[in-house]
Amino acid sequence: MVVGVLQYLTAGLYLLASLAAGAGFTLARPAMLRAAVGVLAAGALAHAASFTLLHTAVAAPPLTHLPSALSFMALVGTVGFLLLAWRARLAGLVALVAPMSCLGVAAAVFSGPAAADGRIAGTGSLPHAHVLLASAGLALLGLAGLAGLSFLVEHRRLKRKRLVASGAWPSLEALDRAGAFAVVVGFPLLTLGVVTGSLWERSATGAFFSGDPHETFCLIAWAIYGVLVAVRFGARQPAARCALTSIAGFAFLGLAMLGVELL
Amino acid sequence: MKLLLVGMNHRTAPLDLRERLAVDEPGPVLRKLVAGAEIEEAVLLSTCNRVELVVLTREIEAARLRLRSLFRRELAPDGAGPAEQELEASLYEYQNSDAMRHVLRVASSLDSMVVGEPQILGQAKDAYRAAVECGAAGPILGRLFQHAFATAKRVRSETRIAERPVSVARVAVDLAAQIFESFAEKRALLVGAGEMIELALRALRGAGLEAISVANRTAERAARLAVQFGATAHGLDELPSLLADADVVLTSIGGVAPWLTRPLAERVLRARRGRPMLVIDIGVPRNADPEIDALDDVYRYDLDDLAAIANENAEERRREQARAESIVEAEQQRFDGWFAALRAVPTIRQLRARVEAIRAGEVEKALPRLRLDDPAREAVDALTRAIVNKILHAPLARLREEAEREEGIAHLETTRLLFALDDAEPGSTDSGPGGGDPEPA
Repeated sequence: MVVGVLQYLTAGLYLLASLAAGAGFTLARPAMLRAAVGVLAAGALAHAASFTLLHTAVAAPPLTHLPSALSFMALVGTVGFLLLAWRARLAGLVALVAPMSCLGVAAAVFSGPAAADGRIAGTGSLPHAHVLLASAGLALLGLAGLAGLSFLVEHRRLKRKRLVASGAWPSLEALDRAGAFAVVVGFPLLTLGVVTGSLWERSATGAFFSGDPHETFCLIAWAIYGVLVAVRFGARQPAARCALTSIAGFAFLGLAMLGVELL
Repeated sequence: MKLLLVGMNHRTAPLDLRERLAVDEPGPVLRKLVAGAEIEEAVLLSTCNRVELVVLTREIEAARLRLRSLFRRELAPDGAGPAEQELEASLYEYQNSDAMRHVLRVASSLDSMVVGEPQILGQAKDAYRAAVECGAAGPILGRLFQHAFATAKRVRSETRIAERPVSVARVAVDLAAQIFESFAEKRALLVGAGEMIELALRALRGAGLEAISVANRTAERAARLAVQFGATAHGLDELPSLLADADVVLTSIGGVAPWLTRPLAERVLRARRGRPMLVIDIGVPRNADPEIDALDDVYRYDLDDLAAIANENAEERRREQARAESIVEAEQQRFDGWFAALRAVPTIRQLRARVEAIRAGEVEKALPRLRLDDPAREAVDALTRAIVNKILHAPLARLREEAEREEGIAHLETTRLLFALDDAEPGSTDSGPGGGDPEPA
């Protein structure tokens, strides 16, 4: 009951943050963008409270349920953004982060309570570790993708010799650093998610890899993202190409991990 | 009481005249002005774009002559003021509502050379502070200037008049701010030592950029700028090595071919390992080859690009100016109402004094006949005072309201006539129009 109320409150606050951010971005009002970040932070508090209550109320919370996982990803993405925005001039990015967070929570709110997952029984903490780590990794790589998207929009605008009212949008340098930070933290988390997923598979079926579409696509997507990360940091690509890499990498991950779930 | 503003600005007077009449230390001038009988309060605003005096006076003609004489003979430091004809062509004059509107427009930066520039508000505050410190600004100009500062704040928060830069130097700084998170660890390279480079250098310094290198053909000029701004001076032969460390490059040197070519930029970018570079090319002909636009980490803007942005921003400011003007208009009307209500103050004060004199006289006559003890005498005194106050309350309040309108003057005249306030009255406590408390009581 309380969890449900908190989820509705979270969705409402994220929606409010999205509207304020949209208005702030359209009207180029940095004060509105900062206010949107504040509302988003309030939403994240409600979100964290609902997540904590869910874990204390239910022995095996249904995180393998896709909408619940999306909601958790929204929480990690939001907290990651808030931490970055606290350290750098990134308030403008709230115009992309808040709607994404809102969609993630809305998926959980409108999908209704999830049924307990039978596969979890008897497999210890591995399913949780897998879902939490993989979701957190995906969320941060999603944040890197959003930062990359913002970077490319800003980069193209500057290349076309256009200038907007200052303060409405983060600087290219801030977006590039935010993207790099999200990848540096997100990819190891995703890697740990893949490893714990294999261990879970082994404890459940006796084999590390069963070959089902979810596992196959996830492994391929992880390997491709790994190559992109290696190229990004190894070859010192221009920032615009790094941004493109983050978008392409996350798009492929999203398609492989979430798309296969939905099919 | 009348408000009078006399002054000159960048539209009416040439720079050399404004320079000659600019006042660094307004205190002595203001003290001298308010020491005379014709001026009650005064504020002097002197900036590089304007010299203006706003005064409160009871004798508008005398004040006009005094201010004109001040401009003609006293403001120039050597006493050699401008010729009569030159001064007449340069001076403007506003009275009452027009003067209020002008002060509000100046503080809101609507009368500035670059509309929306922020410095004028600080300069107006300094001018007012100086007038207060030397005792030249009283409650009425105080109220006017506080109202002007509040209006300027409204204009800045409710319109976007000051958001977009309109000078090439400021546009360059804004571009740098959209590429770099902070200027603290960034390095600028300035190629050339002309006026435009100096302006841009000032703007970048103002934005917090500290590490600056200046490269020029003639080492002396580079050294002069370097000393002035705490930069390092270099020759043009050092450009390739300087470029590798430069995050912002400002270039404006003469020459037939661009010195920043694509092969050079590619070489430099490799050394920079992916760090972006902003190139502001204000040279004519261009110093940076437009082909470097194809390189991802280079953001190049030439004079045409900067001018296009500046013009677009100026157009945006002009659109916002109409909204700002309507805010100023509304605020001017509010102040006008308050100022007009001051007309009622002398009449109200005289009427109160007259009625109080009658009451006190009658009480004084009656008390000996009543043979009362002290508490009873005090009660009678308080009773009569309360009756008088209650009778006067409604008409005086109405008088104050009516005084805010032009038609209210007739009501004031009627009141003065009915109560014979203009007749000689021994022992009257009237302190004259506008004297004492400026609030509309």
